[in-house]
Amino acid sequence: MKNCDQFRELFEGYALGVLDAEERTALEAHLATDCSDCTRLLGEARWLVSQLAYIAPDSRPSEMLRGRLMQRVRAEAQNPRFAGQSKTGVPYWMWIGVATLFLVALYSAWDAHRSKQEVRAAHGQIADVDAQLAVARRENAILADPTSLRVALSPQNSFGPQLEVTWHSQYGMVLAGQNVPVPTGNRVLQLWLIPNAPGGKPIPSLTLRPNANGEFVLLISHPPKVAAETKALAITEEPPGGSTQPTTTPRWVGRVG
Amino acid sequence: MFLTIWTPTNDPVMSPDTALIQRLLQNDASAFESLYDRHSHLVYSLVVRILQQAAMAEEVVQDVFLQLWRNTAQYDASRGPFVPWLVALARNRALDALRLKSERQRRREDQVEELPSIVAAPQYEREIDEKRRIERVRALMGELNPRQKRAIELAYFEGLSHTEIAAAMEEPLGTVKTWIRDGLMRLKEGLQATA
Repeated sequence: MKNCDQFRELFEGYALGVLDAEERTALEAHLATDCSDCTRLLGEARWLVSQLAYIAPDSRPSEMLRGRLMQRVRAEAQNPRFAGQSKTGVPYWMWIGVATLFLVALYSAWDAHRSKQEVRAAHGQIADVDAQLAVARRENAILADPTSLRVALSPQNSFGPQLEVTWHSQYGMVLAGQNVPVPTGNRVLQLWLIPNAPGGKPIPSLTLRPNANGEFVLLISHPPKVAAETKALAITEEPPGGSTQPTTTPRWVGRVG
Repeated sequence: MFLTIWTPTNDPVMSPDTALIQRLLQNDASAFESLYDRHSHLVYSLVVRILQQAAMAEEVVQDVFLQLWRNTAQYDASRGPFVPWLVALARNRALDALRLKSERQRRREDQVEELPSIVAAPQYEREIDEKRRIERVRALMGELNPRQKRAIELAYFEGLSHTEIAAAMEEPLGTVKTWIRDGLMRLKEGLQATA
């Protein structure tokens, strides 16, 4: 109680709002301890201070003010949604806030999903670049290695430039060309490996379409490991997606070895 | 104006104000009208005394009553009687308007709550009409030394602190503190004695 006693003289001043910051802070710190006696006494001090309102000289508001207020209140009573607050004590702006939060959360989720997709796409792009780099490194290794076998593919019927295949026993095969006429429509060029074995059927390999300038580079990663098993290479024009066996006469042919 | 101001909350009979507040919660505009008619006189008198300007006082009174209409649930009958709550709300709003009007930088912002806190009527408080209450409070305040009464008025109607009042009245700080404390204690004792 001794602790409370030191605040007893401050309640009226606090309720009146005249205390200096130090006194006010000390009292508020004490009230924060949930001292029931002091809380009650402060409540009574507030009641006492409220009585001072009765010494204000009598004045009456205008009838216009009453009319304005009543008009507004009646309108809001009929259309509560136009009022700034709800009667439940939960202001409409709070509901609007909740709705906004919901929308923000929805947007955040969508944004997170989109970001995830973007990250995934970026990862995909990086993977593509990595793959392209890996291909480029592999092509470079094939082309630069002196042990690689070079096969010249000559155009049949003098149709188009000569092409070259570089075949590495480990890394695979690179087929490259320039100024190659682009097949009509969606048709493609397809590489065939003609086996050494008697009666062996042409083995279908990859398809390609030169770019608009007639250039292309094609890496065949998994050709037969031993070039000696292949007698020749041929290129035919095939429908989109390629064929299981040649449907046209070869446009380029080159003997291996 | 013979109006019932307040019935203690422990009274088994619901006070007229509490009953009107209940209806207000149901969006009853006629209950609002009744509350306005019961208390606008007191609220306006207080606000115009603080602001000294009728037009601004009417704006503040309008804000106070619209707040009551739109945020009725902010008043909790279990936390104290209605009229002191309404008066405290009006005083806070009026002093805020006064501060804005005069552009004085004072420490009130962190001292006065936006909404009134718990107001506990003392044991001796009894239900009386507004006219009798006005007469009683004014008579008791009239018994104070005029300088003492002036110090309390500067605090209540102008929102000045002890220090500001001392400066305004050119009196020692300790004297002002004693005046205000003693004056309020005499008011309290007088109300207690005449209850």
